[in-house]
Amino acid sequence: MDGGGTVFNIQRYSLHDGPGIRTVVFLKGCPLRCAWCCNPESQRAEVQIGYDREKCLYSSGCRRCEEAFGAPVSDGNVFCLSGADAAKTDCCPTKALFAYGAYRTVKEVLDICERDEIFYGEDGGITLSGGEPFFQRDFALALLSGARERLINTAAETAGAIPYPVLREAAPLLDYLLYDIKHLDASKHKAWTGADNRIILENFDALCKEFPTLPKKVRTPIINGFNDGILKEIAAYAHVHGADFEALPFHAFGTNKYACLKREYAPHNKLT
Amino acid sequence: MAKITTRQPAKQAQSSLLDGTVGGAVLSEQEKRLAGMARSVRGGRVSELLKAFKNARPSIDIERGRLFTESFRATEGQPLVLRWAKALYNYAENATVYIDGGQLIVGRAGKPGRYGLLYPELDGDFLDEAIKALPLRKSSPFDISTADAKVVIEEISPYWKGKTFHEALAKALPEDTFRLTYNADAELSSRFIVNETASFRSSIQWVHDYEKPLKIGFSRIREEAVSALNALDEFSPTDNTEKKPFLEAVILTADAIILFAERHAEEAAHLAAAERNTARKKELLEIADICRNVPKNKPRSFREAVQSQWFIQLFSRIEQKTGTIISNGRMDQYLYPFYKADKEKGILTDDSAQELLECVWVCMAQYIDLYLSKAGGAFNEGYAHWEAVTIGGQNPDGADAVNELTYLFLKSKREFPLNYPDLAARIHTRSPKRYLHEVALTVKDGSGFPKLINDEEVVPLLLSKGARFDEAYDYSVSGCAECRMPNRDTYTSPCAYINFAAATEMTLFNGKMIKYGNEIIGLQTGEDFATFEEFLNAYLKQQKNFLKHAFVQQHEIIRLRADHFASPLGSSLHALCMKEKKDIHAPHIEGGIDLGYFEFIGYGTVVDSLSAIKKTVYEDKTLTLSLIKEAISHNFEGYAEVRALLKNAPAYGNDDPYADELGKLIDKEALDFTVKYSAELGVHLDLRLVPFTSNVPFGKVVAASPNGRKAFTPLSDGSSASQGADANGPTAVLLSNFATKNYSYSHRAARLLNLKLSPACVEGDDGTKKLVAFVEAWRSLKLWHLQFNVINRDTLIAAQTDPDAYRNLLVRVAGYSAYFCELSKDLQDDIISRTEHSSI
Repeated sequence: MDGGGTVFNIQRYSLHDGPGIRTVVFLKGCPLRCAWCCNPESQRAEVQIGYDREKCLYSSGCRRCEEAFGAPVSDGNVFCLSGADAAKTDCCPTKALFAYGAYRTVKEVLDICERDEIFYGEDGGITLSGGEPFFQRDFALALLSGARERLINTAAETAGAIPYPVLREAAPLLDYLLYDIKHLDASKHKAWTGADNRIILENFDALCKEFPTLPKKVRTPIINGFNDGILKEIAAYAHVHGADFEALPFHAFGTNKYACLKREYAPHNKLT
Repeated sequence: MAKITTRQPAKQAQSSLLDGTVGGAVLSEQEKRLAGMARSVRGGRVSELLKAFKNARPSIDIERGRLFTESFRATEGQPLVLRWAKALYNYAENATVYIDGGQLIVGRAGKPGRYGLLYPELDGDFLDEAIKALPLRKSSPFDISTADAKVVIEEISPYWKGKTFHEALAKALPEDTFRLTYNADAELSSRFIVNETASFRSSIQWVHDYEKPLKIGFSRIREEAVSALNALDEFSPTDNTEKKPFLEAVILTADAIILFAERHAEEAAHLAAAERNTARKKELLEIADICRNVPKNKPRSFREAVQSQWFIQLFSRIEQKTGTIISNGRMDQYLYPFYKADKEKGILTDDSAQELLECVWVCMAQYIDLYLSKAGGAFNEGYAHWEAVTIGGQNPDGADAVNELTYLFLKSKREFPLNYPDLAARIHTRSPKRYLHEVALTVKDGSGFPKLINDEEVVPLLLSKGARFDEAYDYSVSGCAECRMPNRDTYTSPCAYINFAAATEMTLFNGKMIKYGNEIIGLQTGEDFATFEEFLNAYLKQQKNFLKHAFVQQHEIIRLRADHFASPLGSSLHALCMKEKKDIHAPHIEGGIDLGYFEFIGYGTVVDSLSAIKKTVYEDKTLTLSLIKEAISHNFEGYAEVRALLKNAPAYGNDDPYADELGKLIDKEALDFTVKYSAELGVHLDLRLVPFTSNVPFGKVVAASPNGRKAFTPLSDGSSASQGADANGPTAVLLSNFATKNYSYSHRAARLLNLKLSPACVEGDDGTKKLVAFVEAWRSLKLWHLQFNVINRDTLIAAQTDPDAYRNLLVRVAGYSAYFCELSKDLQDDIISRTEHSSI
């Protein structure tokens, strides 16, 4: 372990991912494949190359990517590039060609977070998100314990589809937990996210029993045709477990990212 | 215990507020009012008063200009301060007296409706031409009747030709300084490079010690002057030629303001006699009684105190064009004893106190600061005004100063949507939670109030200039971002605004600017630069050259002003002027602290331009300097690739040390200049980043810049990031500000910082709390100033396309709020292009 991991964004001045003003660290990699996912670049663990056709100046004569890659990097083969080519994407003047994710050490990430410490006040701090932050188990735990060492308030936003021992290790390092529950029905959950929800619900039960004082909030993205009819049930489920509940309206901000990854986006369809 | 919430997405498309398709975006309170979803809370008297004039175009009232000119014609050769007092007396005796129907607080210096005054002593030399052009002016227009225009052109203007400060200054400037200051046209219009502001206002923003007349009245101020006059050495030449006329002027001015009030008493009594409505009759008789007592004597009630303050302020506006309107000082402090006493007596309720304050806000809103020169108009768009009311802060002994009246000012701002007065909230480390919370609530309303001023930065800087603790703790916010100690500050000369984006252009083009063709305006610092250090040094030479000319300009301004301006009223309210028996315009007043400044305009533009050149030309070598110059000459048309590379370079406002280190360096170089040379002027000329709206006209002379900015578009404003360059959120904007300041220097003053937040960022109680946390961080970072626009970008765009539906939309501009629809298209675009920070 060299104390690092793959981060695809560090969002400062985040106001809706835990108490106070927070810095959200987005870690790459997720076991779920939710149809509506607004961060498609978060799903795979490795660095990926994106391409935004709208920004590309190739047609107006720019050949900077050709010079950098030794061959034309046109629409057709740009998606063959691997994360190893990430550094070379700097050649692109408009950032039409760019990398999703970069390797960062724990220290690098926490140094950035600490720059915002003055804004955290009594409640704010860092929030690990993803993807599924605990997909990169060692990195996530190292970030949390490192933040603790620096007396920075910690939160994590998990989808819960990971082995319980990881969560059990993380919980004592957390001041606040955001827990995504998309659905209570196993087969529906599987059809829309690609994974069973049993582990998610079992993990939540176990966490609430073992760490009753850890403040928790259950969050549910509202997806019409999938879970819009059962929000009350999920809220009641959260309530029974002593957690707050928040329903997040669907938004389509991720649409362009699908295009940049040359993927189809069908947020309101079951997975095929 | 469990909370259930749903949250709106932070960003959401919203076509128009008014067509009913609000589209789920979170709206500020102001936006809700505009959409008809909420109503203004204040009804009754003040909203009736407001309705009567609000949407009317301002007109020029020539009485002040005419009566002053008449008096000055008759007093030639006499000491200036006495001439000024005589002109004031002539005004008090002969000006029309108005009492508005329904008003409780009386006094105006012009016709009903919104009015602007003429100050021909400033700019009478081109008054005739300006008056002819004025009704056609696009930004901040005024009306004038044909008969009045004739008086201006035939009587007023001819007298002042050859006598104004504007002409004297232009004549005094050395040729090379002149070239950077004025165009060589008949009007001596501004070149917007090294810009003087001394000829379109008579002082830097100023604030009086209102507490003194409220404690003792003008009759006692007059007595003070009489006994001082009697105590003069009858054989002393200076006592006879300098102190004597000064004291006589103070006496005459006290007589003038008392007479002015008494004429209002007569008018009120006269109106009362004819009034049939018994309630109004009673009010008019009260007004008559009040105007016989104040400002002559100490007020007997809160209402009298408010009336007295307004008379003083109004008379001050008549006396001089005091740098974009005289400020109100610490109103929640000096009015408090009257408020408290009346509350204890049971003769005042919070509601009636608020109504009286709002009556005076309405008085202020009808006086429009009229700028005749193109430069003045362009600097102060949207009828700019800075009659700052200061609230909060600390007492002279360092304790927190917040009181019930403080909260009433904030409440009035939330309930009475008017862009008067400008409200400035002082914040310090012991400001009460409730105060911070109510300030945040008021900010959330979305009309731009209050602006925040940080005691933790201001007080130590005032101490470093030689102030005592009690004076520093008791400062008043004055105007845009100045902080003044009314009995200790003695420097009133308006200062230079310097266009450093022009210096960047001159560095690229060897002393030339695209706008001015082959004319060599700046230094010839060469064409080829082998290293970035060479380029940077060339820029710094151009910067230093601008500073040199700004300081030369200032030297002449200081030297000439006492020959052109006097302020017997303002001086009579200043302890040191009364002690030394000198007018406030005297170049030096014993015991005073002279706080001036120079403005660095286009800071973000310059930092980003240097950063882009360093990165693309000298580090990545993705561009050459000649290619950048070529692209700039073509305004980036056909050079999208070059522009994109330049725009991708590290930029100021992102908490990126790459750009911020350059920012700190150019800040330091400017500071080193003033450390070395301001002593020669005998003044603290501090570095500031406060633009008014000058970043728009300054941008109009600068070609495309190396940060990807297009030609002749606005420069970055104040200490804000370049429009759209701040991609890391508002915390990064604040941190970049911190990182680029040179805290080891005392020769620094305000940095104006605009932040635009989407209403979703501050939604609900949670949003209020997070806004407070943000303000607390700003306080800890010891940044001087902060103001917010809490508004959806779509609202601004909708207002631009359908101005009639958005006449009431207030936005924060630069230290003041203005009606969005009264701004020029350029400035509107500038405000729209400021990055809106939303949260994800």
